[in-house]
Amino acid sequence: MKKALRVVASLLLCSAILSACGGNGNNTGSESPAPTNNSASNNTEEATVKIIGFNKEETRKSYLELLRQQFPNYDIQFQFVDNKQFKNVVTTYLASGEGPDIIEGTESSWIAAGYLEDLTNQPFVSRYYDTGIKGFTQNGKVYAIPLQSWFEGIWYNKEIFAQNNLTPPKSFDEWMELHDTLRNAGVKPQAMGAKSWESMMKQSIGVALNDFYSKPEGKDFDGKFGTGEATLSEAWLSAFKKWDETIAKKNLTPDMLGVEYDQALDEFATGKAAMWESGPWAYETLLQKNPNLKLGMFPIPGSAEGSGWLVGGPGSSWSVNKNAKNKDAALKVLDFTSTPEAQAALIKDNFGTSFLEGVDNSGIPEQYADSKAAFDEGHVYVPWGNWGTLAGNDIIMELGKQLQDHLAGVKSIEEVLKNTDKKAEEIRNSMK
Amino acid sequence: MKTTGWNLKRNVTFQLFVLPALIGYLIFYIYPLVQTFIYSFTNYSLYHLDMEWIGIDNYTRLFKDDSVIIGIKNTVIYALLITLLQNGLAIPLAIALNRPLKSRNGLRLVFFAPAVLSPLVVGFLWSYLMSSTDYGLINQALRAIGLNDVNWLGNPKLALYSILLTQVWQWTGYAMVIYLANLQGISKDYYEAASIDGAKAWTVFRQITLPLLLPSISFNTVMGMIGGLKVFDVIFAMTGGGPGHSTETIVMTLINKGITESQFGYGSSFAVVFSLLIMIVAFIQLKVLKKWEERLF
Repeated sequence: MKKALRVVASLLLCSAILSACGGNGNNTGSESPAPTNNSASNNTEEATVKIIGFNKEETRKSYLELLRQQFPNYDIQFQFVDNKQFKNVVTTYLASGEGPDIIEGTESSWIAAGYLEDLTNQPFVSRYYDTGIKGFTQNGKVYAIPLQSWFEGIWYNKEIFAQNNLTPPKSFDEWMELHDTLRNAGVKPQAMGAKSWESMMKQSIGVALNDFYSKPEGKDFDGKFGTGEATLSEAWLSAFKKWDETIAKKNLTPDMLGVEYDQALDEFATGKAAMWESGPWAYETLLQKNPNLKLGMFPIPGSAEGSGWLVGGPGSSWSVNKNAKNKDAALKVLDFTSTPEAQAALIKDNFGTSFLEGVDNSGIPEQYADSKAAFDEGHVYVPWGNWGTLAGNDIIMELGKQLQDHLAGVKSIEEVLKNTDKKAEEIRNSMK
Repeated sequence: MKTTGWNLKRNVTFQLFVLPALIGYLIFYIYPLVQTFIYSFTNYSLYHLDMEWIGIDNYTRLFKDDSVIIGIKNTVIYALLITLLQNGLAIPLAIALNRPLKSRNGLRLVFFAPAVLSPLVVGFLWSYLMSSTDYGLINQALRAIGLNDVNWLGNPKLALYSILLTQVWQWTGYAMVIYLANLQGISKDYYEAASIDGAKAWTVFRQITLPLLLPSISFNTVMGMIGGLKVFDVIFAMTGGGPGHSTETIVMTLINKGITESQFGYGSSFAVVFSLLIMIVAFIQLKVLKKWEERLF
């Protein structure tokens, strides 16, 4: 009997080892259902629709309330995951064959692995402008619908500016002088949560949008960078050297590397700093912290005088998990999202412009009035969404971390771009 | 030995009780371990779901990867220092709190309390205390006594040691408790005999207390090293591996490559090398401590 038990235990051990040697089954999702034409109001089935996003729930509040009214039979669940870990969390979900039904955003690796539903033939896709869909299309297939555009500029404290006779700058040099004026008046010019890899990355790219992308040589760059035909070291160096003046002039200082995004928000909200780079998602939080705060946003200026540029674009998006438990319900939610009513609800808590045809985007809230010229001229762009198979966070995260090293005095701006190019090469090689 | 019917029945019963744990061990440990080892020789990623055998390419790439070198360097420095500091402070603390002080129970609680907190909570808490903004309490205290602010978490040369400080604060009490338990098992006869012989305090510590503390020193140093080598959560909470890559550890790099960048095969090679490193370190430690023990006795 003892021998029999030893044999059983040995067999169990061997089978565990041998089963680990087994091949990995292909990831085959279920077939895509026929495009939905049913009105949501006729829907009577019950379902749980899980949405995962990197924008906080309060920035989707009106939209989620509207969804719950529209789909009383659905249990709409929203899960927020910080952007720092969003890709890791969602990739783990998707790789396990599980996960939410609707995902905020797309990653080229998810598309390559077949985790996202092909939405090309869904009727709601044709309701959007091409500019909104383009960033979520790969190899001719559409994998997500755009939510409202997002953008990031420089929030400024109108009262502090008025007290010092300042107005939003029209050029980078004017912006630098503005910093000096504020500093001499005993005001911290700019709050910066440089512990996050995002802030300096976006601000430096903002200058690149002005100085490089607005010129003819910038027009085709992103596609070439995606394929490895062009490098950031050559294309962006001049613009990044210009932006680097803000570090040389100590407008951004190494101690900011120890400051979280939320701490920088607090500094700006409480009037301890006159400017802070962020976007519309922070507006409500700023006013909650300080209801008396008078603020506006101006675009990031460039070397030449002009309307400036906002870092932004076709926002985040809703994609559908190919293995979603309730795919039909998820598609109905996307169908309803593609209506003027739902778009208005999205914009209400997190201002942006809609890519849905027929939506009136002419009203810009007062706090963005200083950015109107940039909006009118279409000066809202983000390069990394157009890097083809390199699209996603990996490279800009590396750029952000390299900029942290630069602010700490460890690396030169040339090394920052060179190392980011190296990262891009590493990712391209891993795809081969 | 002749197996009687009763012994056989008991043995079968014991082994049946072990079986669920064995099955769990096989499913959650052996199976993933072997699978990881196999993946480490493939190009398995989200771009290569039908993985191909690539031999030792992942391993040769790993040792040329700058981020790996940084990760190994940070991890080894962190693990060595936390083991030394934690135990270097815990032993005298345990000896002090083994004395018949009136407040010793309260003091033991105070020193042990941080160990029950989640490392993530500790990380977030200390990142606010160490903040470079006006809200940072530690810099406020430094200013109050006329000193300059310190960029605790924003200075790439200092950030890792700032994190180390918080972990020494959190875990010294834990090591202290282990040493206390050991101290209380040491017979008072030894100390009485030493007292009769006129031995001084340092001699008593060196010749009696320290050798008899060896079992807990072995345990604490091995566990301290392993914990130090595996560190992730507190670094994630406090710096996210920054500024730049200056506080990234092996585990962070493994997660970045293996999960964030979805290079599962490459990430698996990290895991294999890392496991071997921990086994080698633990083996060497135990050997050295055993030899020391034999020499002393």
